[in-house]
Amino acid sequence: MTAEAATDSFSIGREIALARRRRKLVFLRRLFLHPSFLAGFIILTIFSLTALMADVIAPYEPTNLNYRSILAPPSAEFWFGTDAFGRDVLSRVIYGTRVSLRIGIAVVVLTGILGTLLGTLASYVKWLDGLIMRSLDGLMAFPGVLLAIALAAALGPSETNAIIALTVTFTPRTARIVRASVIVVQGMQFIEAAHAVGAGHARIIFKYILANSLSPLIVQLTFVFAVSIVAEAVLSFLGVGPPPPAPSLGNIIADGRSNIQEAWWIAVFPGLIIAVVVLGLNLMGDGLRDILDPRHSASRETR
Amino acid sequence: MKMHINLVPPLRVLGVVGIFALASAILPAPLQAQVEGGEIVVVQGSNPPSLDAMSTSSQASRNINMNIYETLYGFSEDVVPIPILAEDVVISDDGMTYVFPLRQGVMFHNGKEMTARDVKASLERYRVVGATGNLLTPVADIEITGDYEVTLHMVEPTPTFLEAFSSPRAPAVIIPEEDGGTAAGENSFVGTGPYKFVEYIPDSHVTLEKFADYSTDMRHDGPDGFGGKKTAFLDKVTFRIIPEPGAQVAALEAGEVHILEQIPMPAARRLESDPNIELHENLQWAFTTFIFNTNVPPTDNVKFREAVQVALNMEEIMAISSEGLFSLNHRWQYPETTYDPGDIGAEFYNQADADRAKALLEEAGYNGEEFVILTDSTIPQHGRAGVVIGEQLKAIGINTVINQVDWPTALNLRMQDEGWNGWTLQMGIEPYLGPVGLIATLASPARPHFVKPDPELDALYLELTKGATVEERQETFKKIQAHLYEMFAIVKVGDSGLMQATRSNVEGFVPFRFPRVYDVWLEG
Amino acid sequence: MIRFLIYRLLSAIPVLFVVSLVTFLIMWLVPGDITAEIGGIDASAADLQAIRERLGLDRPLWERAINWYGDLLQGDLGYSYLLNRSVTDAVLERLPVTLSLAGISLLLATVIGMLLGILASVRHNTWLDQSAMITALVGLSIPDFWFGIVMIIFFGVWLGWLPTGGFVPLSEDPVGWARSMVLPAFTLAITQMGVIARMTRSSMLDVLSQDYIRTARAKGMPARTVIFRHGLRNAMIPIVTVVGVISGVLLSGAVVIETVFSLPGVGRLIIGAIQRRDFPIIQGGLLITACVFVFVNILVDLAYAWFDPRGRDDG
Repeated sequence: MTAEAATDSFSIGREIALARRRRKLVFLRRLFLHPSFLAGFIILTIFSLTALMADVIAPYEPTNLNYRSILAPPSAEFWFGTDAFGRDVLSRVIYGTRVSLRIGIAVVVLTGILGTLLGTLASYVKWLDGLIMRSLDGLMAFPGVLLAIALAAALGPSETNAIIALTVTFTPRTARIVRASVIVVQGMQFIEAAHAVGAGHARIIFKYILANSLSPLIVQLTFVFAVSIVAEAVLSFLGVGPPPPAPSLGNIIADGRSNIQEAWWIAVFPGLIIAVVVLGLNLMGDGLRDILDPRHSASRETR
Repeated sequence: MKMHINLVPPLRVLGVVGIFALASAILPAPLQAQVEGGEIVVVQGSNPPSLDAMSTSSQASRNINMNIYETLYGFSEDVVPIPILAEDVVISDDGMTYVFPLRQGVMFHNGKEMTARDVKASLERYRVVGATGNLLTPVADIEITGDYEVTLHMVEPTPTFLEAFSSPRAPAVIIPEEDGGTAAGENSFVGTGPYKFVEYIPDSHVTLEKFADYSTDMRHDGPDGFGGKKTAFLDKVTFRIIPEPGAQVAALEAGEVHILEQIPMPAARRLESDPNIELHENLQWAFTTFIFNTNVPPTDNVKFREAVQVALNMEEIMAISSEGLFSLNHRWQYPETTYDPGDIGAEFYNQADADRAKALLEEAGYNGEEFVILTDSTIPQHGRAGVVIGEQLKAIGINTVINQVDWPTALNLRMQDEGWNGWTLQMGIEPYLGPVGLIATLASPARPHFVKPDPELDALYLELTKGATVEERQETFKKIQAHLYEMFAIVKVGDSGLMQATRSNVEGFVPFRFPRVYDVWLEG
Repeated sequence: MIRFLIYRLLSAIPVLFVVSLVTFLIMWLVPGDITAEIGGIDASAADLQAIRERLGLDRPLWERAINWYGDLLQGDLGYSYLLNRSVTDAVLERLPVTLSLAGISLLLATVIGMLLGILASVRHNTWLDQSAMITALVGLSIPDFWFGIVMIIFFGVWLGWLPTGGFVPLSEDPVGWARSMVLPAFTLAITQMGVIARMTRSSMLDVLSQDYIRTARAKGMPARTVIFRHGLRNAMIPIVTVVGVISGVLLSGAVVIETVFSLPGVGRLIIGAIQRRDFPIIQGGLLITACVFVFVNILVDLAYAWFDPRGRDDG
């Protein structure tokens, strides 16, 4: 792309826009023809619709208790049985998907923003690079979700705090990925060209650099989404997630664990739902990676 | 001795249950061949915060410590102070001196004999590190009046002193003189009990070993409450810490462990007919209570508190929080016990009366202020009760928020004068101790659980501790019961039980305030 | 190689410094302190204040931080009043449990994962490939703590083959130790197995499509030799990287799995310490865990360098 093309007449601009749209359509077509992505997309759509329409679908209120029907096994009345409070597990699981979705999306958005910000800053502002990266290394030195557990416990059990704890935990790796891909993009010729025609820093960062390092970020974020859903369950299991009676999937499993033998249905159903959703997200991630980054298909960086 | 219980349906609403539990406890030991040797594993959910018995009132500690340590006086099976390490007590007519002659030849686990010097050192230490050190406040001076005799000189006559002194809550145990100067938790864990301490690996286990030189109290035929004739049959006892109730039950079923300090009721129902497992019911285990913060709105308003009191459906709260092992009881004493105050207050109990509650709310001028329920997940009954209470109050239009934290946080938060309105608390040992032990937690000089001291209750508490005879104290307690249903600062939700379980080859286990591992043996 | 090692060790220092700062931040955020646990429900506000003063918890955080760093320089991580032992002892006592759990899981995950991956890559685009990859994908989607609960019920209770929890030290009873480790280690390995299988497959496919492999095959070298001598050796680099990341995941996964299986490891120590507000243990435990993790990563870098000599001089 030359300087003239970018500043030339209206019609050329329109042509470029059209070409872009065409490319986008081709991309989407390829994406939805990819079997993994499609399967994952369907799973996630069902999951999201369940979450959004929880009040319509759920047969009962998720917090309605009834001590006359405690630990009732699955039946026509209660498809997934009832828990130790006599609450309908199906309704709780349905509402639980809402909590999981909310936490998942919040963490993805926050991690995406913070990761991009820190990653771009580190790669763009040389004197900040060392400081940011060493700090992130420090955060990453806590293995896995240990940091999230400690933070959530410190902040106190609530949905917001779980989101904060998970964001702090997942941002470092995301920032690293952004930084790495920005550095690669920065070295490319068209960036130099943009500099040469006097494009501003902000414009270059947003229009060229970020747009071109989006793929690894998207793949990473599907992964963050999946891990957040599992991590929420872990936090709730350890008693530092959203507090009861909130019907989060992790809370339901935690509720069911002491009666797992007498009432397997309480813990088993939400666990299965988590497994299926995570599977869906992994499938989507696989598909995205195949198409966005064909060189590294079928496997992704791990937690 | 074991009892086979017909296990309760999910709903257990019994009026008189105490007799059953009591009878099982006092019946003489059966004539079975007792077997020496072997080892058993007892399971509990949490670490003992300390194995320094006097410095803690935690149940997890008491479970273990009461097998290691002994006190001068302690409660018998029917909650009367009896001598354990003391021969006797001689109380002067004016109530100003208590002379404790000691049993002779009692050995500590370190091989030394217990003398008056050890007793004095222990009690002096209790003043400093004892979790309820203020029970020695009425004692002016501890004097050694013989090799085997200690005399307590009082500041003023305190009729309830011996009862308080016998309390197992944070027991005034006797330890060697050498440990007298140690800080809390830093003694050598040496006591005089039938089992001695071997090892503590937090989050894993505490190991006890039979104390070969244990000096048996021959005044009794068998164990009696915290005292009596104790015999260690087993060579080794391990208290294993397993936090997950499900994992505890699984371990019991697999035969890896022998005694569960507590088994969840659904599991108990499932295992009722399992020939390998015996269930033991401890019916009068705890009061389930709900405590208001009388210092902040809306709970500073007595009408609001009354509204909550009459709104609550105690049956539902108890059925869910205790998993079905409970009895409804409005009294601040167990029914049919010495201080049972009768029907006083019954008209406010288990009303589930939404209309009356709403009318009272209106009278209180309530308009949607937040009502924060402080509860914890560490003690499952607390968390469950908090959730049910929250739902019931939401139903009558109270803007309820549940703040479920862990136990240490809950303890910290409720020490703050603001930030919470209601707090769920299982009172386990306090009701067992009788009226003084219970009301002490609600009256000055302690910080009352409901935050703002109530002068009238304080006066009644003083009257209770000064009451010279049982009859006088009974009368005072009736006034207390009536007053508690006037101020509505604390809600009595009900009495909850504790279900315990053993493998069938464990013989001699009798449920009590702690798992007694002496006079327990393994079937040959 | 030595210079590289020294460089890596030195660069760990700022990382661990950040770790210690974060642990102070966590302490600063945690509501309440250990005093409620020590004092219990009877303690009055004055009692609690006395305990606080005795333990120095009343002093400002910066002062405690300075003291802590001072002690740290002398190799002293502090003392836990609740556990009655020094933090170093408490952690070292439990480290074997966590390390053996993480170690066995790593071994299981790597061996089974690589076998699945090799199988899939060698039989590329057959039903074997597909079922291996579906297994891997399902494996990595299962929440491990939930899977642990299901495993306990199935193997511990219904079948009664394995203990339901608890730990037997290796020195006491090797068979008991192995039995106590099977379920937790397998549970912990299940997700990582999937990750390694997928990584192995894709890097094997990469390598197997390279010219020199084709040449080796064309020259009539036996398939097994091609796969193991050339293919796998060269596919190891990305696999080793993943194994490094996974060892960290296993360390933290151990935290939850230790709770599920009642194993007295470092993870449960830290969780318990957080719940009890046992600050010295929280700090020391997190720092030592991070140290172990950083050290494992250094090992991984060394392995990386060994498999790929060009990597030695990378920072």
